[in-house]
Amino acid sequence: MINLSLPEPWNIILEVLFILIYQETKCFMNKIIITVLGKDRPGIIASVSKSLYQMDCNLQNVNQMILQNQFAGFFIVDHPADLTMDSIHQQLEKDLDGQNLKIHADVVENKVNGNNKSDEEIFLFTTIGPDQKGLVARFTEIIASYNVNVTNLTAIFKGGDEPTANIMSYQIVITSDTDQAGLFKSLRQKAAELGLDISIQHKNIFETINKI
Amino acid sequence: MFNSQEIISTIEMVKNEHLDVRAVTLGISLFDCISHDLDVFKNNIRSKIIRNASNLVSMCDAVGEKYGISVVNKRISISPIALVGAPFSASQMVQIALTLNDIAREVNIDFLGGFSALVEKGIAKGDRALIEALPDALAQTQRICASVNVASTRSGINMDAVLDISRAIKKAAALSAADDGLACAKLCVFANIPQDMPFMAGAYLGVGEADAVINVGVSGPGVVKKAIERGLENSPDMGLGEIAEIIKNTACKVTRVGELIGREVAKNLNIRFGVVDLSLAPTPTVGDSIGEIFQTLGLTSIGVPGSTAALAMLNDAVKKGGAFASSYVGGLSGAFIPVSEDLNIAEAAAGGYLTIEKLEAMTCVCSVGLDMVPVPGDISEETLAGIIADEMAIGMINNKTTATRIIPVPGKKAGDKVSFGGLLGEATIMNVPHATNRDTFLTRGGRIPAPIHSLKN
Repeated sequence: MINLSLPEPWNIILEVLFILIYQETKCFMNKIIITVLGKDRPGIIASVSKSLYQMDCNLQNVNQMILQNQFAGFFIVDHPADLTMDSIHQQLEKDLDGQNLKIHADVVENKVNGNNKSDEEIFLFTTIGPDQKGLVARFTEIIASYNVNVTNLTAIFKGGDEPTANIMSYQIVITSDTDQAGLFKSLRQKAAELGLDISIQHKNIFETINKI
Repeated sequence: MFNSQEIISTIEMVKNEHLDVRAVTLGISLFDCISHDLDVFKNNIRSKIIRNASNLVSMCDAVGEKYGISVVNKRISISPIALVGAPFSASQMVQIALTLNDIAREVNIDFLGGFSALVEKGIAKGDRALIEALPDALAQTQRICASVNVASTRSGINMDAVLDISRAIKKAAALSAADDGLACAKLCVFANIPQDMPFMAGAYLGVGEADAVINVGVSGPGVVKKAIERGLENSPDMGLGEIAEIIKNTACKVTRVGELIGREVAKNLNIRFGVVDLSLAPTPTVGDSIGEIFQTLGLTSIGVPGSTAALAMLNDAVKKGGAFASSYVGGLSGAFIPVSEDLNIAEAAAGGYLTIEKLEAMTCVCSVGLDMVPVPGDISEETLAGIIADEMAIGMINNKTTATRIIPVPGKKAGDKVSFGGLLGEATIMNVPHATNRDTFLTRGGRIPAPIHSLKN
C-alpha cells in the first residue's frame, strides 16, 4: 500500500498504523484541502476551479479572504479515486504556472474543531485600543492555556487614535469543561495591562442586534 | 460570523449609548397566601416571595454578564394588596407594607410594586383600608411602590377615589417633608392600568396573570438619539418619514435585546416569560434622555410648539419597531417623559420651555402621563384632584393608559429646586396656575360615566 524506505521494524509499525488510520477515516480519504496564496487580482478562483474541474474534482467548500492586498483561498475537494493528492497538486502547479501563486495541498482530517461537545457556547471578545507589538500573541497564549479554541479571529491595526481603527475580535468556544470565569478574568487583566478596552459577550447578542 | 461594523456598532450601543435592560420584574401572585390572620398572611407572603425571588438578582447579573448588557433594575411586582389583604384594616395594611419592605431588602430588590388598589368603579373594604394606609405605608418604607387605578375606559372616572387619593398624596408629602415629599414618588394614580407592567412605581401583577412571571422593560433613549444623529450626519436633509424609520429599526433591535435577556432569565429561573415593555425610559444621565431626542429632531427644547407632534411620531415608531421584534408586548410600551428622572426634561421645565399644561398635552400621545412632576407644597387637595382627573380623562377617552406621579413638595414653591436622589433625579418645582383654588367640581364626588365608545359589545 505504501512504500516507506525505513529500517525494520519501523516500516511495519508505520504501515500497521497507517492501515488503522485509513480504516478509521476512509470515508474522508477522498477529501483534500487546497490552499492558494498570492497577490490578489481578478481570476484566481476562476483558474483554480477550472483546473480542478478538468481533473473531475468536486468542490465541497470554498472560502476566500483578502488581507490588505493578499489573497488566500481554501478549496475542499472530493477527488476521483484514481487521482492522488500529489498528482492533483502537480497538475494545479502546472495549470497555474506563471501566476505567482503558492499552492498547498493536504488531506482533510476527520476531526471537528474544539472539543466537539454539545454544550458549546460561543463568545466574542473584542479589544479596542492602541496598536502594539505582540497583541495577538499575548491574547492567544492566554486562550490556549485554558485549552479553548479560537474559531474566528479578525484583527485590524491601522494605528492612530480612531478607536475602530485598532480592533481585535476573537470568537472562542467555551464548553462546560472550560474555566470560564478564570479565562475571562485573565483576558480582562491582560487588556487592562495593555490599556485596551475589552468586551466579552455571548455571540447571541450580536445575532439579536444585527441579524433580523 | 459578524463583520467588524456589526461588532463595533453593538459594542457602541452598550458602552456609549447606554443600551441596557432597564428592568426585569418578577411578578408573583399572592392569592394563595390569603388569610384572615395577619401573622399567617405575613408569613405566607414572605415565604412565597422569597421562594420565587431569592435567585432573581444573581440570575439577572449572570445573564447580563454573559451578554455584556446590564440589567439595571431587578424588581418584584405582586398581586394588589387591597385584594389579597382585603380583610385587614388600614393600620394592618401599614404592617403589611413594612413586612414587604423587609422582604424586598432580604432579596436585595430596590423596589417592590403592588401595594395597589383597583377602584375605577367603586371602593371596596380592602381598597378603603389600603388608600387610608398609603401615607404611612409610603412614608415608613423605602422600597414599596403603590398604585391606584381610579379610571378606565370601560368604567369612567371614580371621582371619590380621585379626591381620596389627592388627600393621601398631600398627607404622604407632609409625612415625608424632610425628604421633599419623597413618599409621593412611590405612588402612581392610573387610568387603564396595565396588568403586566415591569416599570415602577406602577408595576403590579394583574389578577389574570400566572403564579409567577418575568416581565422585561427595555430602554434605550440614548441608542435612539445616536441612531438619528448618525442618520442626519449621513443625509442632513432627511425627512421625518425616514427618521421614523430609523427610530423603528432601533426600537426593534432594543426590544430583541430585552426579550433575549428576559427569556433567558425566565428559563433559568424556571418561570414563565410574560411580556416586553417597549418603553423608552430615561435616567438622569446625559445621553440617556428622551428630552435630548427632541433636540436631535430639531426642536429648541422639549415643550416648545412641535413637541407633541414629535412625541407622537417617536412613540408610534417605538411601538411599531417593538411590535415587529416581539409577539409578547405589554405594559406601557411607548416613551416616558418623567420630569425629574430625565435631566434634559428637568432643564426644559426649569428654563420655562415646558409647562405643566404642555406636559399634559403631550401625555395625550405618549405612554404615561404627568410623571415625577414636583409641584408647590401649598397646592390644594382640590387642584391636585383636578390635575389627576384631567389626566385620567385623557386616558379614559383615548382608550390608553395615563398616570400621574405628582409630588407636592412641602414648604417649597414654584422655581425652587428639589432632589429625590438616584434614579428619581432632581428638578425645579413646576408652576401650577391657580394651585390653591378649592373648586367644588372636584369635591362633588360620584363617578364620571364611561364614554360612549366603551359600549363595544
